[in-house]
Amino acid sequence: MNLSGTFTFAGPRSAVWSLLHDPTVLAKVLPGTKSLVQAEPGKFQGTMKVSIGPLTAAEFAVTVVLSDESEPSHFAMQIDGKGGVGFVRGTAVVDLADGPDAGTVMTYSSDVQIGGRIAAVGQRMLESVSRMMMKQAFDALNAEVQARMQSGA
Amino acid sequence: MPNASFGKRVRRNEDARLLTGRAMFVDDVNLPGMLHVAFVRSMVAHGTLKSVDVSAARERPGVVAVYTAGDLGDYCKPGPVLVNPPPVPGHVFHACTQLPLAKEKVRYVGEPIAMIVAESRYIAEDALADVLVDIDPIDAVNDLEAAMAPGAPLVHPHLSSNAAAHVVQRKGDYAKARAAADVVVKRRFLYDRGVSAAIENRAVAVDWNPRTEDMTIWDTTQAPIPIRNGLARMLGLLESQVRVVAPFVGGGFGPKIMMFYPEELLLPWAAMRIKRPLKWTEDRQENFFATTQERGQVHEAEMALSKDGRILGVRDWFLCDTGAYDPYGLTIPINTQCTLLGPYDIPNYDTEFTSVFTNKPIVTPVRGAGRQHGVFVSERLLDLAARELNIDRVEIRKRNLLGPDRFPHNHEIMFQDSAPLVYDSGNYLPTLEQAAEIIGYDAFVRDEQPRLRAQGKRVGVGIACYVEGTGIGPYEGARVTVEPSGTVRVATGVGTQGQGHFTVLAQIVSDVLGVAVEDVRVVTGDTREFHWGTGTFASRGAVVAGSACHAAATLVRGKILDLAGAVLGVAPEDLELGGGRVRIAGSNADGIALGDLAGKANPLRGAVRPGTEPGLESTAYFGPDRGSTASGVHAMIVEVDPETAAVEIKRYLVVHDCGTIINPLLVEGQIHGGVAHGIGNAFYEALVYDEQAQLMNASFMDYLLPTATDVPTIETAHRETPSPFNVLGLKGVGEAGCIPTGAVFAQAVEDALGVESGVEITEIPLSPNRLFQLIEEGRSR
Repeated sequence: MNLSGTFTFAGPRSAVWSLLHDPTVLAKVLPGTKSLVQAEPGKFQGTMKVSIGPLTAAEFAVTVVLSDESEPSHFAMQIDGKGGVGFVRGTAVVDLADGPDAGTVMTYSSDVQIGGRIAAVGQRMLESVSRMMMKQAFDALNAEVQARMQSGA
Repeated sequence: MPNASFGKRVRRNEDARLLTGRAMFVDDVNLPGMLHVAFVRSMVAHGTLKSVDVSAARERPGVVAVYTAGDLGDYCKPGPVLVNPPPVPGHVFHACTQLPLAKEKVRYVGEPIAMIVAESRYIAEDALADVLVDIDPIDAVNDLEAAMAPGAPLVHPHLSSNAAAHVVQRKGDYAKARAAADVVVKRRFLYDRGVSAAIENRAVAVDWNPRTEDMTIWDTTQAPIPIRNGLARMLGLLESQVRVVAPFVGGGFGPKIMMFYPEELLLPWAAMRIKRPLKWTEDRQENFFATTQERGQVHEAEMALSKDGRILGVRDWFLCDTGAYDPYGLTIPINTQCTLLGPYDIPNYDTEFTSVFTNKPIVTPVRGAGRQHGVFVSERLLDLAARELNIDRVEIRKRNLLGPDRFPHNHEIMFQDSAPLVYDSGNYLPTLEQAAEIIGYDAFVRDEQPRLRAQGKRVGVGIACYVEGTGIGPYEGARVTVEPSGTVRVATGVGTQGQGHFTVLAQIVSDVLGVAVEDVRVVTGDTREFHWGTGTFASRGAVVAGSACHAAATLVRGKILDLAGAVLGVAPEDLELGGGRVRIAGSNADGIALGDLAGKANPLRGAVRPGTEPGLESTAYFGPDRGSTASGVHAMIVEVDPETAAVEIKRYLVVHDCGTIINPLLVEGQIHGGVAHGIGNAFYEALVYDEQAQLMNASFMDYLLPTATDVPTIETAHRETPSPFNVLGLKGVGEAGCIPTGAVFAQAVEDALGVESGVEITEIPLSPNRLFQLIEEGRSR
């Protein structure tokens, strides 16, 4: 599955960058996140619980390793999620550029492989569920950005 | 014969039990202390198995045992090759069979890695998630042609390529025929199949008694006796210590003859160690991964013809998916090679295939077993040739049919049963003529189609011929016993999966012994009742086991006549059987009830004469040298909506010749079920894998089976050309309904859309979506 797109945040790159690297914030904004901690610099671990079509409340142990970081404009991720109903494995690349109105345009692309039951019975919902979850995450993250801008300002 | 039931529409003996829910299936086996089993299966299609950590699973309350390959010791050996390749000169075959639990490498999604035994299925399933499996993924081998490209990842790295087998068969001189041809039609064809979708999934239950040291295994297998024999050998037991029961089974269709499935090997082994009964029942989703299926072939084929439409020769080259392992040998592609010839006179034939390993579940026969692939190629080539030569589709077929004077007909190539492909008998032309007449082919093409087209309706007719090799050896047996109650017991080794064995075998015996069909009680698939035989496959139950039943019943009849003659003081030839009694022919006397005679044949005092056996019981076997070849013609009329690509089947006709008919009701039932399978194959069902060989539609939500509204009323007509290979003249019928369905569907849809649409169908399965694409592509041409 390939997911790519852009999202515009209402805040500067530095703020977006730091939020994208803050496990406490990410745990709050990523739907279904039960826990997320920074295991070591550039490596996050946690568990997520998501529902995809007929697979309800499927739990995944997730590891994300960051690489190729160039603050505040670029980083890559290796994503590895394992659970009783399947696995998700892949890479993603994120680029941050200055956007209009002092905002930040994030361009992302990902290439993930899905296996097990989520591939077998969740496939036709997978992309729409993923897009929906990403939109929820970005909206929530954007709200965080705005909140920080206001409190910091 | 008095009250002969042969050829009559006798209702099924087994239906009362089946329809009222009183029949026993494997999952009905519930024993005190029974434990339940679930399997950890690979989620990755291809990878190196680095580690399996079962420690957490073992600690879960309620888990009794967890096994991995390492725990199996010497028992973890590759399974047997079930069907050795026929002795085709120069063939290549690399046998690669599966371990009961994966070790070092996984080769398809669903391959078992660990076995969990627990107090309940719930606990066993929960424990699946406790097992940590570490697999290093390798690029999966998914596409057949990519699998054969240089540098493709190897499913079995000890081989130099993914080729599992290579076979060339030749008849005559195709090159010469081609050089002399007026026209050569050539195309590439794709034909894919799917799961068998039996209503009952697989199941195994085992009860090992450590005191008596015997084991009972209930198994949904189509081959209980070979399962018993194999398991006894592998477990170090005598065959007599193992009883395998295949009770009522909700559909077999081929995958249930696979031997041995890992679950079949593992439950008996574990039961001997845990000393408690075990049961595993496959769930529907598991079935998409853990049960064998049939899949795709890619053909490059050409047909050389004279300008009057006579086939001079055919050349076919194809790739055939065998999945991750190849325990079933070459049965499917050999069937494809042989069945491609159909009912036609094809003097020159070059056929070559490469069977290919992929990272998908194992391929073994599913109803039709490669036959439909071959029929699709030859029937489509004939359609194309008819168009090119401007000859009517029915006419070009008529010109090429083998005449009734051509039997037995030796096709000079090897069939799946390791015997040369020889057709025993057939009468093809009247079958085709009858089909054309019933469907109203001439009038449809001449009047109806133009009239409806003028109204904007896209209607088309398809008509296709096929043969079906059936009733192959090696043998089956039967024991027939007249009980003192007068009830006749018949025991045979084949398993039963809904075919109606309890009725057809009863009919055969009832006619020989002059008893009512319902007074014949048939037992199938229980090795304690009968323990010689091979199994239910290749449309052979009625032909081979039926002939054995006939032979055994005939011996019993002899015993009845001899004993009754002695009792009544007349010569045996002066006696007749009927109504469950034996009496002096032509007399009004009551004679003797068979049950009473059975009592006399097994006296408590006195002497049984030397040279006779007690009781009215005999055992006999039947082993044909080769199979008998059934044949038929399917025809259909469809209407296609060119905007939505919806296809409505207006009429579906099967004219069929399975030799002497035992029971037309059951023959029709087989045909109806087969056509439903065929329609599913043609337009609904497809296994969709992604690039990494992950199956993406492993549920009936996404894998479409035809429903009652998709399967039309099926018209049937019967013809009977008896087989000379058995006394009763029988041929099989189990697969007839699904063999030409894809070919006739493609032809009818293409005819409905018309030449001007530019649509040429060279692939099955279609779907509304795929057909829509083809229509769009045709428009842009």
